[in-house]
Amino acid sequence: MSVSTHGHRRKITHLPGFWGFLFISPWLFGFLFFTAGPMLTSLWLSFQKYDLVSVKYVGVENYRRLFFEDPLFWKALKNTIFYAIVSVPLGIICSLSIALLLNQNVRGQKIYRTCFYLPSLVPSVAASLVWQWVFNADNGVLNTMLRMIGITGPQWLQDERATPWAFAIMSLWGVGGARMVIFLAGLQGIPDSYYEAAKLDGASAWHCFRRVTLPLLSPVMFFNLILGVIGSFQIFTSAYVMTGGGPNHASLYYALYLFQNAFEYFKFGKASAMAWVLFSILLLLTFIQFKASKRWVHYEGGDK
Amino acid sequence: MMLMLASHTAPDVMRVDHYNFPSLVKKGYFYDLTKLAENDPTFHRSDFFPQAIEECLYKGRLFGLNVLFGGDLIYYNKSMFRSAGLDDPAEMAKKGLWTWDKFRECAIKMTKKDSDGRVVQFGFGAPGSSATFPVLACAIWGMGGDMLSKDYKHAVFDSPGAIKAFQMIADFRWKDHCSPTQAQGENSLYTFEGGKLGMVFDFMGMSPRFRKVIHSFEWDVCPVPKGPFGNTTLCKGNQLVMYSETAHPKEAWRLERFITGEATEAELYVRRRRCFPTRKAMAYSPEYLKSNLPPFNNWVFVDAVEHSRPLPINDRWSEWMTAFNSEIDNLIAGRESDAGVVLRRAKIKVDKVLADEAGF
Repeated sequence: MSVSTHGHRRKITHLPGFWGFLFISPWLFGFLFFTAGPMLTSLWLSFQKYDLVSVKYVGVENYRRLFFEDPLFWKALKNTIFYAIVSVPLGIICSLSIALLLNQNVRGQKIYRTCFYLPSLVPSVAASLVWQWVFNADNGVLNTMLRMIGITGPQWLQDERATPWAFAIMSLWGVGGARMVIFLAGLQGIPDSYYEAAKLDGASAWHCFRRVTLPLLSPVMFFNLILGVIGSFQIFTSAYVMTGGGPNHASLYYALYLFQNAFEYFKFGKASAMAWVLFSILLLLTFIQFKASKRWVHYEGGDK
Repeated sequence: MMLMLASHTAPDVMRVDHYNFPSLVKKGYFYDLTKLAENDPTFHRSDFFPQAIEECLYKGRLFGLNVLFGGDLIYYNKSMFRSAGLDDPAEMAKKGLWTWDKFRECAIKMTKKDSDGRVVQFGFGAPGSSATFPVLACAIWGMGGDMLSKDYKHAVFDSPGAIKAFQMIADFRWKDHCSPTQAQGENSLYTFEGGKLGMVFDFMGMSPRFRKVIHSFEWDVCPVPKGPFGNTTLCKGNQLVMYSETAHPKEAWRLERFITGEATEAELYVRRRRCFPTRKAMAYSPEYLKSNLPPFNNWVFVDAVEHSRPLPINDRWSEWMTAFNSEIDNLIAGRESDAGVVLRRAKIKVDKVLADEAGF
């Protein structure tokens, strides 16, 4: 009897993945109770009318109203897509450029790296307040500089035509942050021997970048693209602090409108439905990106 | 606090801004104080300004006691008025001469530019677009307009009076240039305490701050200007409420009575002059009206409440205000210049919100 118990015990600890699951169990526990639980609750809520007091089952009414009766939902979605289309490529190009510069062997390299990383340490509310100054139409840094070269800058945060661009510009604030560090790590993972070989074959600096750096960096690029798209769809703090969604809803982003519905208008059913629509959109976008990635992402040692 | 209320863990006594009171009281979060008030021999409704009680009522029952209460009025830079050769607005008000025309004339005369054409001081400051409407409600009422119908079921911004008022407010900025635009007004570039605004609309609650920071010029308060339909201004307060599930209603009532009590009001509002008292006898007392510290025209605070009415804040307030402001932004930011066109569009939007079933 004792032998079999002993043997049984041995079996559990020898199960494949036992230690792995044991070590990630705090995360698993957290995920199940603090993420998956609320997620499922919000899915249930999206079929209810819930104003914090009474819950009433309404079927797909929340979704129907969103799609067919709420122009602000579409406006918020449009604003967010515009922001993603402009800010994601712009951010990736800038982060990569900074990473390339910081990858050079120059004196004070570490100081530069720290300096470029610093802005992303500033809390986003503080950064938003600083940017409010930058965008001030009369006395802001941006328009003062534009004035110096003879251009009259727009009323960045008061003119609905300029506001979407202001937010896209502001998204550059974080380009020296985590994304840049990931690019830098990717760059440092490329063996020097590849560049030496390319140079021996007479490749120019551009060719080295185009034919060696970019393909080898493509998995990192892919990772940053996925995170960038997801991140850009979640823009909230800057709009909440700087404009509150104005002027004339020009900066009403998806997450902000969702927040307003939940915590200002107490429409938790509608807000939950919005959350699930956003989740579906992001899932679809990520799926498309994974499919498309087969064409351009190069994994060393694997198939294309 | 919303989460505490929703999860049944709210404290016994809470302070709620009146902007949120109607939507929360409707959800049944607050304790009905009517009985407690009736059984308290020291509590007499007639002691208070009727507006202070009115804000705390829901379906005729008492659900709160008012704190931080008062009427909207004007703080003015006395030194700036004098150096522009203008009469004192409080004196003009006493004689019935303080009209919107006079207000405009003073605002234009006090606006000054430097040699580069940049404005160094403005006649008056209207707060940013979203705050414009409540604070300048006096303009709408003064011109005979209103915001919502009596039953709060639909918007009446398209009435001639309201259109006239909003046109006037927009013109102050874009035609007369005597009030900072949103961009100019951002980041506190032109503030009253900085001596760069001749007049600013606000409540008595600003007095302690102004007293503390203003040393370089004289200032005081005057009533809002008079329009063809009078000078009704808005009054607003916060409500001290009790959680409906409190286990200690008697103790909570005692705490509320202490915080809003006579002794507290006498100390905080009369002696320290921090805010406006809710009790009539206290506001009319010589101790309150006569002050050694600015502002000296304390009769204006009383006058403001006497000529005041509450804003049409209902349980959908923040929702319809968002719809309203999205249109008014166009006018206040100068993208459109015809108040009538903008307000008619705003009415359609707000009506849609008000007609819609709540909670969707």
